[in-house]
Amino acid sequence: MSWDQLPIISLLSIIFWISGIFFAFKGKQERTAVILSSIGTAIFLVFIISMWISLGRPPMRTMGETRLWYSLFLSIIGILLYARFKYQWLLAFSILMAVVFIGVNIFKPEIHDRAIMPALQSAWFVPHVIVYMMAYALLGANAVFVLYLWFRPKKHVITPQELSLCDNLIRIGWAFLTLGMVMGALWAKQAWGDYWSWDPKETWALATWFSYLLYLHLRQRVKDTDVLFAVSIFSFILLQMCWWGINYLPSAQGMSVHTY
Amino acid sequence: MATSWGYKKAFMRCACIFLAGTALQLCIGDLNNAFLHYPWSVIAALFYAYLLYLIYYLSDKYPALRKLYDHYACVSALASMVLITIFFGSIAQNSEATGFLSKIGFTRMTSSWGFNLLLLYFTSTLGLGVINDFAHIKQKKWVSVLSHLCVFVILTAGIFGSADKKFIELTASLNKPTSTGVVEDTGEAYDIPFEITLKKFEIEEYPPRLRLINMQDRNASKQFLSIEQAGQSKTFGNWDITVDQFLANAMPDSVGYRAMSHVGSAPAAFVTATNRLTKATSQGWITSGSFIFEPERLQLTPTEMVSMSPSIPKHYQSDVHLVDKKGNERDLAIEVNTPAQIGYWQIYQYSYDTERGKYSTISIFECVHDAWYSIVQVALWLLLLAGVLMFFTAGRRRKENQK
Repeated sequence: MSWDQLPIISLLSIIFWISGIFFAFKGKQERTAVILSSIGTAIFLVFIISMWISLGRPPMRTMGETRLWYSLFLSIIGILLYARFKYQWLLAFSILMAVVFIGVNIFKPEIHDRAIMPALQSAWFVPHVIVYMMAYALLGANAVFVLYLWFRPKKHVITPQELSLCDNLIRIGWAFLTLGMVMGALWAKQAWGDYWSWDPKETWALATWFSYLLYLHLRQRVKDTDVLFAVSIFSFILLQMCWWGINYLPSAQGMSVHTY
Repeated sequence: MATSWGYKKAFMRCACIFLAGTALQLCIGDLNNAFLHYPWSVIAALFYAYLLYLIYYLSDKYPALRKLYDHYACVSALASMVLITIFFGSIAQNSEATGFLSKIGFTRMTSSWGFNLLLLYFTSTLGLGVINDFAHIKQKKWVSVLSHLCVFVILTAGIFGSADKKFIELTASLNKPTSTGVVEDTGEAYDIPFEITLKKFEIEEYPPRLRLINMQDRNASKQFLSIEQAGQSKTFGNWDITVDQFLANAMPDSVGYRAMSHVGSAPAAFVTATNRLTKATSQGWITSGSFIFEPERLQLTPTEMVSMSPSIPKHYQSDVHLVDKKGNERDLAIEVNTPAQIGYWQIYQYSYDTERGKYSTISIFECVHDAWYSIVQVALWLLLLAGVLMFFTAGRRRKENQK
């Protein structure tokens, strides 16, 4: 399969996802909601695997290709969180975000180069990108949840379970960030001779890692949810800078080996 | 109130460290850690670890020392690292830069006193926290202790071991033993403690690509036709391009090109271009050229032509013979992502004669001396393990919180 099939495949996935969300909101139809949403995700996964086969390399090199993974993981996380915690709106928001990123890929297609430079032909390439995309998706889901809690209706009192969900999304997302960063360091040593080169992407990735770590340490003492939510959203903004924002940052122009 | 004052004092400490660093930068210039060569790097690292232990030990007697690793110190040090990485990430890093920002070290992160002093403070807070973790190991989550320890080891090795790293670029010619390279930063000659002889150099290339060039804006089309055999075709705008004949290795002759596997041969294709609107047709040979003959393009209109891009390497490798100072001999294959290791040295496939491409008779290696390699590798792999284990502890913490 190629990019030409993305609109039709996405339409199929979206139909199943919307059906899943419909049953989630209908109530007492949780299993049907999970199954339908999972079919939508499975169709999208098959598309990515087919792209992988037809390109002859993992589709992880360009910004458009990483968006595919982001959409996939967002939908997976939305389904898992719905299955575990029964938040219909979290399923709906995760799927909405996944659809937005698919839309960006359809309406702003990027031409994809078939060549992959020798340094990228490493066993670390696939896990490094996948764990980062997984982290981005988890922390994206957390940002949506935090914004919901932060601007909640006045009568809504935040429960310990809701705060616990925020903590766990960040804790697991941060664990994925750690894995991605360590894999990147081991790969860099193998390919370029040093673990860390203060490339702009690396610097912003480190700022993001520190910022989520700050949240985890603040959480032990600070009870003011506004402070926690502010740090959480600030960290998510840093994450966006690291992912795509540095492409527009004047100080990072032409200096990154992480070119998308 | 006490809590708020605790944070304020801790943040003021960080601000003072950064300001002191910036003042130092103005007074004595860049931080130069060149003195931290082995054995001084190891002695300094051990002394630093001992100093941290001493501070922790004395903190029972002098409670003020606890402020170096309490919650406020930890949060302020972390927040300072967030701010300083954002700060340096927002300023273009360029060691050649001039002007005020350069003078106060903001354009050279790794040589900046402010950044390095804050990093040292953060590492010290973390190190004291690690000692505290081990002193109260029964009350601690061991995944958290492991990740703290690994990050501390990695940062300490980075601080004290960076001056011990040497990056030597070495150019090896076919069948000529060499052991002299140049230091990458300074360009000075450097003798590595082993001899390299290049026995063979190989490149595998991607298939050649045809692109439509717009002569007005000098831009090549993002779309391309990757040629693997005759008969392939692709549409570029209004032009249908068909490959009638393809020679993977060709040399020019009086009538065009002929197949020949010879040093300097290059791919060539005979193509037909037909305009969908005007039905105009152009035919001709196209080649990317090589170091012995010029590229050839097919002109379609005064502003458009079809061109073959220079070959892109997919994979390249050097077969080398190594002899160390003790006379031990080894035959190795070195390629990108697969460096060779000799003691504390790693040898990386770095480059080759890009003008000659697959006919290169030299191979360029980067020889890296890293005495801290093993310790950092162990710490990184353990941190990877800690990252995996965090998934399990995340669920456990949720249950504990609910209780």
